[in-house]
Amino acid sequence: MNAEFIQNLPTAEQAIARLRELGMPKRNNELWSFFPVAKIPTPEFMGTNFAASPATSPAAPTAATATTAAPANQETDFAALLPIANNARPMIREIVAGAAEMAMLKCNNDFGHTVLDIGKGAKVSLEILDNKVTHDIAAERFDINVGENADVEIFFANPACDLPLRFRHFNIHEAAGSTVRFSSICKDTAIGRVSIECHLKGEGANFDYRSLHVLDGEASQHSRLTIYHEAPRTTSTQLARNLLSGSARVSYDGSVIVGYDCTGVNSSQLVNTILMSEDASVSVKPVLKIYHDDVECTHGNTVGELDAEQMFYLVSRGIPKKAAQEMLMRSFAQETFLPLPDSPAKKRLMAELGVR
Amino acid sequence: MLSIKNLKASIEDGTQILKGINLEVKPGEVHAIMGPNGSGKSTLSKVIAGHPAYHVDGGSVELNGKNLLEMEINERANSGLFISTQYPTEIPGVNNVEFLKMALNSKRAFLGQPEMSDEDFKKLCEEKMNLLEMDERYRERGVNDGMSGGEKKRNEILQMAILDPKVSFLDETDSGLDIDALRIVANGINHIMSPEKAVILVTHYQRLLDYIKPTYVHVLRHGKIILSGGPELALKLEDQGYDWIEEAK
Repeated sequence: MNAEFIQNLPTAEQAIARLRELGMPKRNNELWSFFPVAKIPTPEFMGTNFAASPATSPAAPTAATATTAAPANQETDFAALLPIANNARPMIREIVAGAAEMAMLKCNNDFGHTVLDIGKGAKVSLEILDNKVTHDIAAERFDINVGENADVEIFFANPACDLPLRFRHFNIHEAAGSTVRFSSICKDTAIGRVSIECHLKGEGANFDYRSLHVLDGEASQHSRLTIYHEAPRTTSTQLARNLLSGSARVSYDGSVIVGYDCTGVNSSQLVNTILMSEDASVSVKPVLKIYHDDVECTHGNTVGELDAEQMFYLVSRGIPKKAAQEMLMRSFAQETFLPLPDSPAKKRLMAELGVR
Repeated sequence: MLSIKNLKASIEDGTQILKGINLEVKPGEVHAIMGPNGSGKSTLSKVIAGHPAYHVDGGSVELNGKNLLEMEINERANSGLFISTQYPTEIPGVNNVEFLKMALNSKRAFLGQPEMSDEDFKKLCEEKMNLLEMDERYRERGVNDGMSGGEKKRNEILQMAILDPKVSFLDETDSGLDIDALRIVANGINHIMSPEKAVILVTHYQRLLDYIKPTYVHVLRHGKIILSGGPELALKLEDQGYDWIEEAK
């Protein structure tokens, strides 16, 4: 077990104190620029008076926060702290070096905290299922430490979830030569946010992110990724695809930070959105902070309708317009995950998209 | 069978490309349309198919007495029209076989026929793929996805073979084909052709017409058919180009 990784996780008291410092999320905070923050209920422990005060006037640190290790105090994401502050009991699990494991995680409370310590060379497939929801808000946090040369896939392809507000936060640390593939399909009908902080700490570590949002109605889903390249020859890929109808809204806030002395880093970010209606919308904010010359970082963003020439081709072969639209939407969706290696994640995600 | 009368069509900015096309195609006939680049050959095929980038300014196009111009695009296809464009569109992610099956069953539904069973479709597909000497990889690929020019053209003829149209309009089907592929594709077209069907070939070269003997050859220039003749016309065009036609006028 990586003791340092576990010890650096905040306690409930530390999380509460930090949340009081930060205040409730506001749209002028860049982490929440696109999120409908007014929908977030104020936790009881923050107090109504406090919540109304500006975030720039943090409460005095408590004794607990004053002695807290730096990582807990530096956490800036409300969603990362919320489950811990709400006394989510951490489920701590060690997967030993060289092990091969397939697991499904399902939190049975509104607030969940999972800590995984994955040993060297382990091969892990982890599916996250929807938690049991009884309240207006659910928040889960996952702290995952990935050992050298381990191969990990994390995925969720849950059926449409109609809970009003859901946060999922992932804090991933990767050692040298490790790979993490994070893949998700979201068809939720309400408001949600997935935030990921991935630290590529060892040489050659790789992080592959693929997400698909298929949203309709008033759904509002938000992604925030920060990938820290902290070692040479680390690589990361981000591919986010969105198919939006009705008044659905998606935002993608993706940051890549390449540290000093991190030579040979390769990073790409691509967001493709198809807007099926006039009222659907997408906001994309790529951020690249590069502190080394020998790196290759790209980012791109496309927004459009279904390809008119492809539509014409299908319809000109006798296929009705609606069926042709569905074929193109399905292919757009499936392409998100086609490059994945054959694995439980690929099988599950493609099955969700109708591929057997 | 296919009757085009005084067809005029323009693009979005109002430029008229087709300026009064007249063409009568009867069952069992092969018509070759030749002409310089930019004369309107590809536009003619797209206008007949119903491509939204073109506006029909006048005229009519009838297939067995039914006005194609009043039909939706898919209805034109299901009524027996097949258009193969010069540059077949790539559709990654849409599986070739699923697409073919969907297209065939759409036509069958339009004609009031039941869906073809998976087993029968597999047999049909195998038969036509053998005819065109296509290997199994085509089944797994996306529609025209990552295919060479020649592979795309072969894939188009596979669609034609499976959909079994009454009239096929093949726009530069010979472009991008090597010698062997040209022979295979041409043989495929000849095999699909029957006394009840018709084919219109757009081509720049005699080489395709060495394999597929045309009943008539037409020259399209400046949006009009300016000359029609028999197979010998293609040979003369190959030899002398198009300028002599204007000069003779």
